[in-house]
Amino acid sequence: MSALLLVIVGLGAPGFLPALAVAGRAPVLVFLAPLIGAGMAAVAAELELGVGGSLPTCYAVVAVAANVAVIAWWLAAGRFRLRAGPPWGWSIVTVVAVLGALIIPLSALRAPIIGWDANSIWLTHALMVSGGHHELLAGLQNAVYRFSNPDYPPLVPAAGALAFALFGRGDLHVAIDVTVLLNACALGIVGTGVAAVGSRRRQVTRLVAIAAAGAICLVGFAVSGGYGVDGYADLLWAAAAVGAIIWGLVLPRSTQTLVVASICAAVASLTKNEGLTTALIVLILIALRYRPLTLPGLRRLRAHPENRGLPDAAASQMARKWTERAAFVVVPALPGLAWAVMARLIGLQNAFFVSSSTESLLSRADATIAGMAAHLAVAPVAVAVLVAGCCFLRRDRERARLGNPAWLWTACLVSLAIIFATYLFGAFEIHGWLANSVNRTTIFAQVLLYADLAIWLVLAFDGVSAHEGSEQREASPAAVSAAGDAGHDREAGSLALAEGPGRLTGLAGAGRSRPAGPGTPQAESKY
Amino acid sequence: MPSMREPERVAEDGSSVPAGRRHVVKRIGCAVIASAAAVTLGLSVHHDVQTTAAVLSPASIKHATAADQQEECIYHAIRSELPSGAAVYINDPVVQWGNFQRLAELSTLWAVPQPSPATAQWTLSLVRRTSLVPGHCSGLALEIRRR
Repeated sequence: MSALLLVIVGLGAPGFLPALAVAGRAPVLVFLAPLIGAGMAAVAAELELGVGGSLPTCYAVVAVAANVAVIAWWLAAGRFRLRAGPPWGWSIVTVVAVLGALIIPLSALRAPIIGWDANSIWLTHALMVSGGHHELLAGLQNAVYRFSNPDYPPLVPAAGALAFALFGRGDLHVAIDVTVLLNACALGIVGTGVAAVGSRRRQVTRLVAIAAAGAICLVGFAVSGGYGVDGYADLLWAAAAVGAIIWGLVLPRSTQTLVVASICAAVASLTKNEGLTTALIVLILIALRYRPLTLPGLRRLRAHPENRGLPDAAASQMARKWTERAAFVVVPALPGLAWAVMARLIGLQNAFFVSSSTESLLSRADATIAGMAAHLAVAPVAVAVLVAGCCFLRRDRERARLGNPAWLWTACLVSLAIIFATYLFGAFEIHGWLANSVNRTTIFAQVLLYADLAIWLVLAFDGVSAHEGSEQREASPAAVSAAGDAGHDREAGSLALAEGPGRLTGLAGAGRSRPAGPGTPQAESKY
Repeated sequence: MPSMREPERVAEDGSSVPAGRRHVVKRIGCAVIASAAAVTLGLSVHHDVQTTAAVLSPASIKHATAADQQEECIYHAIRSELPSGAAVYINDPVVQWGNFQRLAELSTLWAVPQPSPATAQWTLSLVRRTSLVPGHCSGLALEIRRR
């Protein structure tokens, strides 16, 4: 156990300063640092494969470069003081509650179980990464190892290889344990995101939000079954992607939430191929939330008095917006995309599409729908709560500046559609394939829907216990405008989903600023 | 004469609903949402507690420990009985895909698995052995043949 803690310190220490710069004293700091360290290890594995050298050397280079960049940014921006954050007391209670909840599933580490994929994929790759550039390249290209999906991204193997670098290869199980702890960290980010929904509300609601945060961590392990604790990586990418959605598409827009979401998306994209596709979907939605599409934008810009007679200025402003949107997607996804490109360049192929199936698409679709539906029993409850929430809690959600639930549901449905299409057009015999994997490929959707339930729970609890005073405040919704968001909504006759989350299909009206309640905090910072 | 009716105001959906009734309806709606969400989350939390308890049962720990020790035993057997860098062909006499994958995994960084026996110097396989035979790994033994 002490070895395991040392590995987490080895991952968390290089990630601490970047996490501190992003999170300040928010409770997410505790869970973000090890994941940033694991992300650095993955980038180091990419350098090892693409440039050469060994993992410890590359990891040191990446860690030093990232920390120097953070210090330089800190100095340049003059931000010697930590960003203003939530109260210390709330942060500490949240961290203690989430860690306390995570102890229950993590106690399963006392049984040294190793799952099938943990052996045949992740430990095999971890040993390859641990062997240095030549071993890694030769191993991934060796036809004998084709069963191990050599094109899978390197985050989990890199974290395992780092454990081997610290403790030798005498106990292979330490790599499994590191994966399980990373699962817990990713769920911790989801949990702290749920807790943040209630952070600016009445004390009793805050406590409910903290309880919901602990619950969602347990739920993550519950829906994963044994796969959460036996070295599989499915919970890791799923929880990281859910974290990206909670922080990037649900919580109020700010630099902090945007960066936390981007880090989560990067982690998901570096963990599994499904994680990469889901991360790209989430990042595109985040880009559209932060920089809404403005179809008549060019016309309006040209009509603007400042731009009259200056079509080039209007066009360049449009170009800048598109550049920003592209940056929101490409920058966090770059490490994951880089691995995908490298894998293709060295001739690694995804086993799912190397040949075509002889089964009819209809029979595959039938089996896939039945298989996926069996693991999405929470969906009807989530839909019912969504509809009820939109009826009764629309204004509460607007006041809290939370994202429209349509963002979350779009991410969920598009990700499920891609997984469905993979089963539909993949090469393997469908029934065996589903039997072996559908319980894992649906973890993301399950955790996401449970997280949505937890968020509605917090809002509903606040609503049901609200006193008359707060009801009166609700009656005058135009009282205060949230400074940061209003600017964004004003941008546009936009196709963007209105941030008032009750409006599932809303079009933001041009030039209209969104109302918010008196409790609404000002935008934390520019983004 | 002043009206005794509750004040009316325009609700979210545009309809005119008495404020007091709207508050009651909202509270009921919130209670339903909170109850549904709490029960669903609670059931899942309970499931996790049960899963963890099952993993930590004595039988489960015993089984996992035995599998772990078997794996470690094979890992060390490969390293003690084969020269480093040996080109090996993994032959599975009982056609167990799992044993093939285990041997490929556990020989990583020590031996170099070959896709064809023609290029291999050694053949590796896992065979069943009773626990009376020395060198066995919990009922399995590593069989190495020089080609």
